[in-house]
Amino acid sequence: MNPITPIINGMKITLKHMFMKPVTLQYPTERPKVAKRFRGLHALNVSHDKAKCVACYLCPTVCPAKCITVEAAEDANHDKYASVYEIDMLRCIFCGYCVEACPVDAVKMTEEFELANYNRKDFIYSKERLLVK
Amino acid sequence: MVNLTIDDKQVTAPKSATIYEAAKMNGIKIPILCHDKKLKPFGACRMCLVEVEQMKGRQIPACTTPATEGMIIRTSTPDIVKARKMVLELLLLNHPLDCPVCDKSGDCDLQNLTYEYQVNSNRFTDEKFNHEIDYNNPLIERDMNRCVLCGKCARICDEIVSYGALTFIDRGIETKIGCEFDDGLNCEFCGSCIAVCPVGSLLARPFKHKARFWAMTKHPTVCGYCGTGCNLTLGVKDNKVLTTIYDEDQGFHKGQLCVRGRFGYQFINSTERLTTPLIKKNGRLIEATWDEALELVAARLSGGAAVAALATPRLTNEELTLFKKLLVENVGTNNFDHAAGYAHTAITEGFARSFGAKASSASILDIQKSDMLLVIKTDAYETHPVVGFEINMGVKNKGIKLTILSDKRGKLSKLPDATTLVHRPGSEVAILNAIAKTLIDDNLVAGSAATIAGYAELEKALAAFTADVVAAQCGISAADIKKLASEYAAAEKALIVFPVGQAYSGHTAELATALANLAILTGKYDKEGCGVLCLSEKNNSQGAIDMGFFAQDGGLNGVEILDACAKGTVKSLFIAGENPLTSYPNHTKVKAALEAVEFLVVSELFLTETAAMADVVLPVCSFAEKDGTFTSTDRRVQYFKSAIRKNVQIKSDYEIFSNLVTRLGGTVAPTPALLFTEIAANTPGYQGLSHVSLRKEGAFAAVATTPKFVIPQADAPFTVEVGKLALVTGSALYHNGTLSQYGEGPMHVCPENYIELSRTDASLYKISEGDVVTVSSASGSLQLKAKVTPRMPAGVVFSPYHFTAAPINTIWNGSPVTSVTVSK
Ligand code: SF4
Ligand code: SF4
Ligand code: SF4
Ligand code: SF4
Ligand code: SF4
Ligand code: FES
Repeated sequence: MNPITPIINGMKITLKHMFMKPVTLQYPTERPKVAKRFRGLHALNVSHDKAKCVACYLCPTVCPAKCITVEAAEDANHDKYASVYEIDMLRCIFCGYCVEACPVDAVKMTEEFELANYNRKDFIYSKERLLVK
Repeated sequence: MVNLTIDDKQVTAPKSATIYEAAKMNGIKIPILCHDKKLKPFGACRMCLVEVEQMKGRQIPACTTPATEGMIIRTSTPDIVKARKMVLELLLLNHPLDCPVCDKSGDCDLQNLTYEYQVNSNRFTDEKFNHEIDYNNPLIERDMNRCVLCGKCARICDEIVSYGALTFIDRGIETKIGCEFDDGLNCEFCGSCIAVCPVGSLLARPFKHKARFWAMTKHPTVCGYCGTGCNLTLGVKDNKVLTTIYDEDQGFHKGQLCVRGRFGYQFINSTERLTTPLIKKNGRLIEATWDEALELVAARLSGGAAVAALATPRLTNEELTLFKKLLVENVGTNNFDHAAGYAHTAITEGFARSFGAKASSASILDIQKSDMLLVIKTDAYETHPVVGFEINMGVKNKGIKLTILSDKRGKLSKLPDATTLVHRPGSEVAILNAIAKTLIDDNLVAGSAATIAGYAELEKALAAFTADVVAAQCGISAADIKKLASEYAAAEKALIVFPVGQAYSGHTAELATALANLAILTGKYDKEGCGVLCLSEKNNSQGAIDMGFFAQDGGLNGVEILDACAKGTVKSLFIAGENPLTSYPNHTKVKAALEAVEFLVVSELFLTETAAMADVVLPVCSFAEKDGTFTSTDRRVQYFKSAIRKNVQIKSDYEIFSNLVTRLGGTVAPTPALLFTEIAANTPGYQGLSHVSLRKEGAFAAVATTPKFVIPQADAPFTVEVGKLALVTGSALYHNGTLSQYGEGPMHVCPENYIELSRTDASLYKISEGDVVTVSSASGSLQLKAKVTPRMPAGVVFSPYHFTAAPINTIWNGSPVTSVTVSK
């Protein structure tokens, strides 16, 4: 093959791209469009001003990374609720099994993906932080 | 045996088997919901339907139908599966299906069957149940909305526990399980109903929402309370014991437990547990390191006979052996004992001289094989409830005759056809002697009796104990004594059962001897269903005896040790787990002794009032945190493994003793398992046992008997001072020793000491239920809550001994009966 041909082909591609819309997103000034079924940070759904979670322990049971800690308790009406609901985001693998396991649609995954933090302990999301605001 | 065909498989089964049992024996699984192997067949749920060819292929319940010769059975044809699905659909129709919040989830028969039969829709519609849920009971939560009306709870409470707290109430679709007048549950809280409930209708309230069934590891172990030696399974999560789990295959009792075993586990993870050694400095206990503490103890232990020790029979066999070795070989003292020095004498002295063995010659398993049971004191039920269940079942299912000789009536008296002879307190030995005399006089003795050593002397010594004389003193009729004697002699197999314990100071060697005489006279020992069974109080009381941890070879016994402390001849006292301030007689004397002794070291789980007086306190492990063996009252040696890791700051008694042995220049087997091989080699009956061989199941240590007649000394009849009442002490059903005070379950239902008195006395002294009364004796007085019960005879009052807050030993100095006044 003529040694010049590959160079010309390469330049063609380069030239073509010079006139295409760039793929690079100027993050953080530009924001990505997150797909509807993206699996980002968890959130706990709220109904009647209370977390819907009934502390059934299915999500910690199914979680392959074992990063969910639930502790159940009984409220004044003798209903079961999660007195502790914690997710260790350092260990979570965003598989979404917890959402699938939940029998009462109490946990969901949001489009939130900016999870960087300065302290390890800040990666432990408490119930308070996870509640849908 | 019958031959039958189940699912094309030729099988054989015993004649008494039902189809369900025959299938199970041959590895064929038939689903059940309302059946329990311990209970009589009931046939309420129709889950176990099978087709029998001979019955024209009709569907019949396997759990109630006897297997007969030649039956051809099919257990899972499409029709049967359809029928079972329908059963489930109908059950689920009104069922709330709140599995996410139901603590039974994961261990629920209904859930499992629904899953297995893939019942994921329902053809019917109806309203869900709307029964009120009982959240108020501290131990048992009842949610009848989840009930499948299998009746197991009501049946177990009736057939085995013999309490009858639960029953079906209302009719038709309204039917539910309830209590008297649909009121709250107020029973003996054994939790058997919770154990057998196939769904989440009955739940352990202390475990409410604590963990999911599947998240717990299950650790089989041995109960740490009484001498029955029940097996239990601890549910552990995150190194915490959260509950006890029912296992119907465990132990002779098939998973049955009493309130203490089932609900008394909380002491294990109590936040009040001691976590660091303490040393007394300037009158205050200050935290110290193990090195400091043990060095101090080691230094004070080298005093020969000026050192004494009291150990709780809750320690393991290995620990008791090591403790004894430390004391005898390294310290050089024989002054050690357990159980106040008298609670074990029925065995160590009584059985030793009458049977030539320091153990009961009968086992708990003999109860149901007997024809007649003679129980001394109705308290046998309270002290050993699971033994009580055996008696219940024997009497109710097998028609065993039950006679109770007691100073009060009790639960056992309520069994069908039970005879309770209520005598004056403290006159047991005289009555038994009168029975022995009747046996001899009426020629009811076995042919061989006269050849046994001591017969002639006994005959002579009993001359004064004619039924008429004794009857006049003891408050029962001569005819009753004679009738009992002839019934006992006539029964083909007869077993005598009596409890001992720190609060039963009258149950000593004399009582054991008097009972042994009856068995030997009639030849009713060393045979199945016969003998004398002494119910030792704590989980390892018999072990302590087997390990030789009691006063012998000139050593001081428990009471004498305390006297010697007061006199100053004993200068250092090591108390391992005992709590004499509450549990030994005469509070003032015990307190004075503990104050007088120069150096007191206490190893304990909690800072008890005894530990609070110590110069050094050593925090130790509970049974759930260590390995070892316990020997039950009938010499079942059982191995148990730790269920949780211990706090690194505490040590087991084994570690403490072995450290001290080393400090005093001796050597020890490095592990309890190795020490146990030594124990097995040196203890009669333990030969061939090892931790490994006991891992799966405990083993009986054989007891060899050589009978001899010994003359029991009957105390002069106790006469109550005029205008006073006779106080008898004992154990409450909900407690065992003083440890159960740290179990939340027992404390929920029996939180404080009380005095039980008859209705006659109550009206005489104008006392009503719940009144706080002052009970005074010559040694002191005490405020107690009054409990008015029909079971007490007039003139007799009862109070248990477990409570530190109101210790009965302030008014009780160890005599079997005490004269007291009761006033408001
Ligand atoms: S599965 Fe749902 S209800 Fe159950 S614990 Fe998790 S979030 Fe709560
Ligand atoms: S009883 Fe069983 S089926 Fe019913 S709610 Fe509880 S776990 Fe679910
Ligand atoms: S706890 Fe025991 S005594 Fe009470 S209802 Fe249940 S089975 Fe009966
Ligand atoms: S409460 Fe439980 S054990 Fe009792 S009948 Fe209902 S389902 Fe059966
Ligand atoms: S306290 Fe005794 S009767 Fe009760 S469960 Fe424990 S060993 Fe059994
Ligand atoms: S198990 Fe046979 S009818 Fe319920």
